[in-house]
Amino acid sequence: MNFPQNYVSQLMEKITTWARINSPWAIHFNSGSCNGCDIEILATLTPRYDIERFGIKLRGSPRHADVLICTGPVTRQARERLLRTYEQMPEPKFVVVVGSCGISGGVFQGCYNVVGHINEVLPVDAFIPGCPPRPEAIIDGIVKLLAHIQRGTRPALVIKPGVQEAA
Amino acid sequence: MTPLAALLSIMFFPAGITLILSGMLYEWADRKLVARFQNRIGPRWFQPLADTIKLLTKEEIKPQGLKSLLFYGLPIVALTGALTAALYAPILGFSPIYSFPGDLIVTLYMLSLMTMCIGLAGWNGSSRFSLIGATRSFTQLFAYEAPFLLALLGPAMAANSWVIKDVSAYAEGHYWMILTQPVGFVIALIGLMGKLELPPFDAPEAETEIVAGALTEYSGRGLALFHIGKSVELVVAVSLVTAFYLGGIGNPLLFLIKTLVIVLLMALLQAMLTRLRIDQTVGLWWRYGALLALLQILILILLKGWLA
Repeated sequence: MNFPQNYVSQLMEKITTWARINSPWAIHFNSGSCNGCDIEILATLTPRYDIERFGIKLRGSPRHADVLICTGPVTRQARERLLRTYEQMPEPKFVVVVGSCGISGGVFQGCYNVVGHINEVLPVDAFIPGCPPRPEAIIDGIVKLLAHIQRGTRPALVIKPGVQEAA
Repeated sequence: MTPLAALLSIMFFPAGITLILSGMLYEWADRKLVARFQNRIGPRWFQPLADTIKLLTKEEIKPQGLKSLLFYGLPIVALTGALTAALYAPILGFSPIYSFPGDLIVTLYMLSLMTMCIGLAGWNGSSRFSLIGATRSFTQLFAYEAPFLLALLGPAMAANSWVIKDVSAYAEGHYWMILTQPVGFVIALIGLMGKLELPPFDAPEAETEIVAGALTEYSGRGLALFHIGKSVELVVAVSLVTAFYLGGIGNPLLFLIKTLVIVLLMALLQAMLTRLRIDQTVGLWWRYGALLALLQILILILLKGWLA
C-alpha cells in the first residue's frame, strides 16, 4: 500500500543526492598551516584546473558552503574559530583536510601552542595527504568524497588516535 | 482569457516554471561564456539547476536577533516581484500575457523590488558584512535606477506609449532603435548589469571584501529563492531591452538569438572589466549615464516637436 509513497521518497532522495554531488560549494579555512597547502588550493581554483566544471565554487560565507576545506594543524587560538565556522555551516556539511599537518599534526605535532590534527576537533570526511598535495590530488580527494556521498557512506577514518604526544 | 488558460499561462507557460527553467539556462549561458572568455571549460548545462535543488534541500539557519517575518518573507517577496514583472514582459519572444496603460513603469519597479528586498535582508541582519552589503545595494540602486529608466523611456517616447506591447509593436515596424538611439542602448545594457549586480558592478556582493554582501547570513531556501529571482530578473530585463532596442518581438527564434547576443555582450564586459568602487559606480552613473540619457531624451523631444 505504501509502495507509491516509498517510490516517491526514493526518487526525491535520488534527486537530492544528484544535486548535492553536482554542486559542492566550498569554504577554505586555515587553522595554522604554513600557507603551502593554501597556495595549492588557490592553484586548484585557477583557470588551468577549472573546478567549476564539477560545479565546485569557493564561497566567502560559511552559510552558503557545503564542504569545509581545512589546512594545517589546529592551534589553540584557531580552535574556537574553526569550530565556529563549522557550526555556522548548514547541514549537510562535509570536512576535507588538505595536507599532512591536518592529518597528523605534521612537523608541528607536540608544539606547545598546537591542539593537534583536525580530526581531534571536527569529524573529518576525507583526508588528502601531501606536503603540500598537488592540485590534481586535491581534485581527486574531493571527487572521492563525492563518490562516497553518492553511495551514502562516509569514508572510513584511517587516523590512529594518540599519534600526537600529550602536550 | 478563461481562468484556466490564465492559470496555465501564469503557472507553466510562458511564465512560471518555463520562465524559471529558462532563467537557469540563461544563467548557465552567462557563466559558460565568462568561463570561455577566461580560457576555462566552464560549468555543465544543468549547473544552476543542481545548485538550486541543493540549496532548497539544505538546512535553513536563522541567526539570532533577526526579525523572523522579514527573514523568511523577503526572499518570497523578491521572487514574487520578479515573477510578476514577467507577466507584462515579452519573455521568450511571446507577446506579454497581460498589459494595461503604464505597465512599463510597473514592470521596472517590480524588477527593482528584488534589489530592495536584498537590501532590506541585509539591513535586517546582525552581521556587519550584510549591513555594508545592504548599504552598497541601496547606494547602487539609487545610482543606476534613474539612467536605466530613462534609457527605456526613450523607445517609449518614440512610440508615444507607456505600454510594453505597443512599444515593441512600434519597434517591430520601424528601424531598430539601437540605430536611432545608440546611447540609450548602451545605457540600458550597462544598467542591466548594474541591476543584476554583475561585475564590474558587483561591489554589493564583493566576496573578497564583504564575504557575500547582504546575503551573507542566508542559507538554504532563502538563498535559493534569491538566486531564482535573480535569474528570472535576468530573463525579464534582457527580454525588455531586446524588444525595445533590437526590433520588437517578431519571430521567437530570432528573438532568442537576439537575447543571447545581449548575454554574450554582458559576459564579455564581465570578463573584461574589474570591480568598480561604490563611489566610482555612483560617479559613472550620475556624471555620464544620467546626463547622456537626459540629453538623448531632450533631442528626442526636440525632434518630435520639429517633425510634428
